[in-house]
This record gives sequence, structure tokens and C-alpha cells, in this order.
Amino acid sequence: MATFQRHRFTPWILLAPQLAIIAIFFFWPAAQAIVQAFYIEDPFGLGREFVGFENFSRVLTSGEYLRAMGVTALFSATVALGAMGLALLLAVQADRVIHGASGYKTLLIWPYAVAPAVAGVLWMFMFDPNLGLLSAGLESLGIGWNHRVNGGQAMLLVILASIWKQMSYNFVFFLAGLQSIPKSLLEAAAIDGAGPWRRFWTITFPLLSPTTFFLLVMNSVYVFFETFGTIDATTGGGPGGATRTLVYKVYEDGFEGYDLGLSAAQSVILLVLVGLLTLLQFRYIERKVQY
Amino acid sequence: MRYRRPGLDITSHTLLILCVIVFFLPVWMAIVAATHTQSSLYTGTAPLWFGSEGLGNFLAVLSDPVSRLGTDATRLLLNSTIMALGIAVGKITIAILAAYAIVFFRFPMRMLCFWAIFITLMLPVEVRIMPTYKVVADLGMLNSYSGLILPLIASATATFLFRQFYLTVPPELLEAARVDGAGPWRFLRDILLPLSKTNIAALFVIMFLYGWNQYLWPLLITTESDYMTVVISLKRMLTSADNLVPWHTVTATTLLAMLPPIIVIVLMQRYFVKGLVDTEK
Amino acid sequence: MATLRLDGLKKTYPNGFVALHGLDLTIDDGELLVVVGPSGCGKSTLLRMLAGLEDITEGSLYIGEKRVNELEPVERDIAMVFQNYALYPHMSVAGNMEYALKNRGIPKEERRRKVEETARLIGLQDLLDRRPRQLSGGQRQRVAMGRAIVREPQVFLFDEPLSNLDAKLRVQMRLEIRRLQKRLGVTAVYVTHDQVEAMTLADRLIVMNEGRIEQLGTPMTLYEQPASTFVAGFIGSPAMNFLNANADGDTLTLPCGSQLTSPVDVHGDITLGIRPEHLVPVEESPQALTVQVELVEPLGADTLAYATLAGQTEPLVVRFDGVRRLNEGDRLWLAPDRERLHVFDPDHGHRLTTTETSTTS
Repeated sequence: MATFQRHRFTPWILLAPQLAIIAIFFFWPAAQAIVQAFYIEDPFGLGREFVGFENFSRVLTSGEYLRAMGVTALFSATVALGAMGLALLLAVQADRVIHGASGYKTLLIWPYAVAPAVAGVLWMFMFDPNLGLLSAGLESLGIGWNHRVNGGQAMLLVILASIWKQMSYNFVFFLAGLQSIPKSLLEAAAIDGAGPWRRFWTITFPLLSPTTFFLLVMNSVYVFFETFGTIDATTGGGPGGATRTLVYKVYEDGFEGYDLGLSAAQSVILLVLVGLLTLLQFRYIERKVQY
Repeated sequence: MRYRRPGLDITSHTLLILCVIVFFLPVWMAIVAATHTQSSLYTGTAPLWFGSEGLGNFLAVLSDPVSRLGTDATRLLLNSTIMALGIAVGKITIAILAAYAIVFFRFPMRMLCFWAIFITLMLPVEVRIMPTYKVVADLGMLNSYSGLILPLIASATATFLFRQFYLTVPPELLEAARVDGAGPWRFLRDILLPLSKTNIAALFVIMFLYGWNQYLWPLLITTESDYMTVVISLKRMLTSADNLVPWHTVTATTLLAMLPPIIVIVLMQRYFVKGLVDTEK
Repeated sequence: MATLRLDGLKKTYPNGFVALHGLDLTIDDGELLVVVGPSGCGKSTLLRMLAGLEDITEGSLYIGEKRVNELEPVERDIAMVFQNYALYPHMSVAGNMEYALKNRGIPKEERRRKVEETARLIGLQDLLDRRPRQLSGGQRQRVAMGRAIVREPQVFLFDEPLSNLDAKLRVQMRLEIRRLQKRLGVTAVYVTHDQVEAMTLADRLIVMNEGRIEQLGTPMTLYEQPASTFVAGFIGSPAMNFLNANADGDTLTLPCGSQLTSPVDVHGDITLGIRPEHLVPVEESPQALTVQVELVEPLGADTLAYATLAGQTEPLVVRFDGVRRLNEGDRLWLAPDRERLHVFDPDHGHRLTTTETSTTS
């Protein structure tokens, strides 16, 4: 890479705003989170006591936390698989039709712009126990719907809203990935006698794997963090913790329970989880750059 | 080459159109509900066709203080706009500069800076929410635009994307510029920024949406309705209801909250898709 | 216009790799010096050091009387034409050409006048408003040239400027570069890996190998008296044939038994170099090399024959007049021209003259 070599101060001037912002709003709080995880603070903020790993053991042995982990795992897997599977299915259809692929893109892309919380509200209206279109439909099938009471139904609601929002993002990537696969490869496979189904699984799908992997990571991040808005606006983690994910619990313990040490310990655990995830993604992107 | 099977094509179109309809359905229901009165809504299942109110509910939430919020939707939209623009412009500006330093200069501790910046990619604000809240509170920035904007700028996504783009700029361009007598600032202004136009546009869309759609952070630091954003106002409207949810105003506000980002994404779709696919992959 | 003087110019990379081992060289005012060599020989590094894009590790570089080691590229008053042209994609042709002038603070009127003048000189006057991506490869090349010319620099630096063009355009642009450089009288250094380009353009020519100058001279000197097997193999196409032989005074004995008269007086094993165009077909005789044709390449003007000679591993390449009809399997007798035989040291590859004797005997 060609560079400017004889400028000593210029790079520091360029970096100053970014470094200042991350020092104040990232490193300082992050360091505090880590320190706080090892202390128990009394609720009035009058003093604190070093407790070693007690916060962590409190977190990891708490039934509520383990339950939140289970909720997160179920929620993440369903949303990621649902949003990616549906997107892939639609992208393959859109790639196949000669006319209209870009039209479908416009018609399907807009939910990406909708805030997770807003997506939650839209679906909440669809499922409103009093006047929701879908809840009424279910009612006529003999299925009573009330996500304010029924935990499984509450989960289904946030899952649907999350898939609805995330699908478009995946669709854009899958379509771009499909369109970048050289047509000659599929032609060669067709000449070799592979039918459409076989061509998809032996040529298209393997060649899409970088996109798929990338989306898997992005979807995990989305499910972990951005769905907070969906959950808080619709179910508030309830009923009875049925939709309380790990991030939701950090928020609850910190801002509603005022147990700062506990909340911080959870932050640190999440930090490690997300760190591993991002590292994976980072390595992947770095590898791609070398092409 | 494709096996042209008309039957398959029709299946594809059917499936796609069906999905487009299903995706649009919740929005349609909201649009319809927003044209009804509270009482005409609660007569059975939500109506499928427009009601008598027309744009009345929209005008009402835009002009009159929404119940229990103490502010009208105009103010909420203004706050959201300021926050989204602040985050987009702020992030892009500092990212352009920082990525420029990291890619086009060699200086002591460069790698340290690189890692210090990119480690922030690993921790979204949701993870470090408590201590960040405390820092912002200590700085007296609760209920302020700077409190809404600055902590969300402290992540390196944009910096990383610009770095990726800068690495694809042919090194000869920099050399040619040096031979032509351009120093670092001139190269940035005359060559690099014009070349980054598409990326800047794409990132602007992404960051605007990111800012507009923020939830947890504004929820925490805006206790006064003067600084509340439209997205978080929805929850207050839902929970502040005495018994029945006032869906006619909630849907109107919801649609208002959706409209600006959807307009941005549809108008700038070309840049957005290109930027999303080119830079993140 | 200026002379360019290199005094022990050396480049060592931070990883310890020595790209240039101390070069001494003077390039005369108005001269076009071509640097040729295989990739990795250090020719591009040399050019970039002249430009100021690479730091000089040791030694000095003078442009005119001024030592310029520490100067930024722009302060050296040079212009460079890049291999991929490095045109600014978002600027028009005129914008590309006037950018350097703008940075120098030259007023707008004067800039426009100079750009138009240069555009006329190289036939770009109708393209000034176009963007680089709207131009053909040849036109882009011209813009890159124009951008260099408009600044009226002391030295032109060319970094393989024609290697991205197709064969026909390359010949055309080669002539044009030569014509322009002579007309403007600007000192120029031209780097290429193409020996035809090197031969046709150069006033003087440097063949580089592994960071050292193998030979410096006019194109014909390098062709007629290559200083080493490396130069001999690099200059001339098809490349020179190298044969194993034994020398005893002025008699050379080849493994096939043929005996030739040596142009130099040496003893011991030697490498004998014969250019394909210097092998003349003769009637059968004991002095002639007896070869069997393996493959024939009729090129029209010439016919190339690849022929086996007993005791040699590589086939012998022979260039015939195009009118001669040859068949594969033909047996031929060839007599080399004594004055055009080249004798090299078999171990180090350097040229042996009468005063030297071979190192192995």
C-alpha cells in the first residue's frame, strides 16, 4: 500500500475524534463494566465491596438466567433459520424469473427499514386478542389466542415479527450472491446431466456458503441485540419471563432491579459470547479481503 | 441458460407475489386502522377497509399532545430526525478521517490504534448499557441530543467499512497524486472523497436507519418527553392505555415512525444495496 | 531539462531484502534510457526511487546539480506515467491533466491554455470533457502521457506504460512516445520487461538482473557484444542458442564432433552462443553442424526451425528466410559465422575475450 510517510502529526489529527469518542463512550464504560462485575454495590450507591467471582456464580447458578439462556437459544435459532430459509427460498425464485427480479427486490426490501420495535407493534396489532385479524382467524379454528397470558404464543409473536423484519436483509444478500454465480457453471452442470434440484444443492448452495456464513453471523447479532426493541414493545419479556432473552435480562437487572454487579457480570458474559462471534466474522472478512 | 419451464416460472411468481402480500399485510391493517375511530375499531375484528376518519388521526397525533406523553408526534419525529442525522453524519465523518489515517499513513502505534478502534465492533451498546448510561449521566448528558447521539457513534462499523473501501483504491492513484503535488488533505478532498461518494451514500442510508430505529438507548436516557423519539413513544402509548389499546392513534404513530426510513431506503435503494453487499461482504 | 546522476544508489527493504545493490549511472540531458529486465530484477524499484515514491537507503540521487534524496516527488520536478495509467476516475481528461498545475497554483487561464496546447500535441483535443472510463485503452494511455507532458517536467519516468495495450496499439504508441520525447527533448527513464520495446526506444539500454546492472550500452552494443549469457539471452528474439563446447586456442570442439574456429583465444570448457539468424545453411561438410529439423514455424517473412544437434540438450533455433521451404525431419548442415560467435564462461556466464582464459580447464 502506498502511504504518506513524512507526515507525523496528520494521522493523529485525523484519528483524534474517533479515539476521543471511543475512549469516553466505549473504553471507559467497558472497563467499568468489567470492574463492576467483581463488586457488589449497595442499592443506594453508598459503597461497594469486592466479591471476586461471586456475581458470576450468582448469575450462572440462577434458574432465571439459565432460563433466559434457553429462551435466547430457542429464539435465536428459530429467527435465524426462519429468516434465512425464507429469504433463500424467495431469492432463488427471484433469481429464476427473467423479469421482475429488481421489482421484487424493491417490494421486499422495505421491512429492513422498519424499526424492530415498530415491527413488533405491527404484529401485535395483527394478533391483538380483541380485534387482531390473525387471532380472530385462529379463534375460528378453535385456537384461543392471548399472548399476554400464553408464553408460547408470546414467543411466536416476537419470532414472527423478528423474521418479518430480518428476512429482507437476508433476501438482498442471497439475491446478490445468486446473481454473482457464473452462469457458465450452471450450464456446465446442466450439460453434465444435473437437474435443477441437483444443480442447486451441488453448485449453487456450496458457492453461496460465504454469503450464508456471513448472514448467519449477522443474524445472530441481530437476534441478540436488535430484537430488544421488538420484545420490549410487545411482551416486555413476559408473560412470566417466557420471552426474556439475555440482553433483556441485563436491562431488567440493571435498570429495574438496580443490581449493578449482577447486570455487569451478565454484560461480561455476553461480551465474551459476542466477542467470539465477532472474532469469527472478523477473521472471515479479513480472509475475503485478500481475494 | 435456464431450463425455461413456464410452469416453474408461474410457481415462482406466485410464491413471490404471495410473500409480497403477506409482508405487506400488517402494514395494510395498520393503514386501515389508522383511518378509523376508537369505537369503530372495537366493533369486532379489525376492519379490512378504510374508515371515516381519513387523515384525521394522523393530523391529530401530529398536532395534539399524545395522551400521557405530553408531546405531539411532530416533536417526536423531529427528535428522531435529529438523532438519525446526527448519528449518520457524525459516524461517517469520524470514520472517513480515522480510516484515512489507518490506511494511508504509517506512524508509531498504528496497529494499536487499529485494534483499539476495531475492538469496539465486538461490543454493541446493548452489552455495556449500564456503565455507558452512568458515564453519560455523569457528564450531564441525559435528556440531550448529544447524549442521544455521541455514545452510538462510538462503534467502528463505519470506520471498518471505509477501511475496506480504501484498501481497494489502487495505490498508483495516491502515487500519481503525490507526483502531481497533492498532500494528504488535498488527496482526501480531491481524490478520495469524490471516489467514496457511493460508499458515503450507502453508509448514510445504513446509519440513518440505524439511528432512527434505535430503541434501548433512547429509552434509557430520555426521561423527558422533549427528547423522546417516535420509536420509543410507541411503547409508552401501548402501556399508558387505561384498558383498551388506542389502536387508531397507535397505528397512526406507527406509520409515521415507519415512513421516513422507508422513504429513505426506497429512494436510495440503489446505493443502499450496493453499499450493503459490496462493503459488508 | 536535466541530467540525472545516480551515485551508489542502494535500496534495502525493512525485511532485509536488498532490491538494488548500489547503482552508479549518469543519464544525459535529453536521453531516453530504457531499463529492461525480468520481473523482480529491481527495475521498478529503481524508477520509484527516482520518482521519490520509495526512500533511498544509501547513496545519492542528483537531478541537474541538486541532490534530491529527501525531496517529495512534486519537488523533484518529474512526471510519471504508470502502468495502469492511474487516471483520476472522477475527473475529466482536462481535469486529470490540469490537476498538477492546479496544485501548483497556476492561474486558470494559463492552465487551460497549457492543457489545450498539450491536447493538440497528442491528439486529445476532442476528448477533453470525457471521463477516463469513457475512453479506450489507447486513449487512456494518451491522457496519462498528456498529464505528464503538460507539466513540462525535467524528467519523464515511464513504468511499463504500454503493457496494458494490445499488440498493434503498442507498436503505434511506442513510435509516438519516441517521437514526443525527442521533440520535447526531455530526459526520460523508461522501464519495461519487453525487449523489443527496449531495443526500439532506447538511446541507451540497461539490462538489470537481481538488483544489479548486467550491462549498459546502446541497443546494438548489447545485441552484438552481450556482456553475459543473461544479456545475450534477454536481448534478441528468438533468444540466442547456447551450446556446450571445448576450446583449445582458436579451435572449438562441439560434443557432436564438429570443429569451429573461435573468435577468441581461450582454453577449456566454454559456453558457445550463436544467434538463430547467424546460422547459415551450407552444403554437407565436416565443419558444418549436422542437425535434424524437429519443428518448423513459418512466420511469413522468416521461418524458424527447431532442430536437434547431437550432444546438446536444448534444440537449436535457426532463422531462415521466409522463402525457404522446410519439412520436419529434414537434415541440414549449418555453418555459423565466425565473427558472430559469442564465447562465455560456462560457470559465471560472462563474456570471454582473448585476454581472458576460461576458469575451468
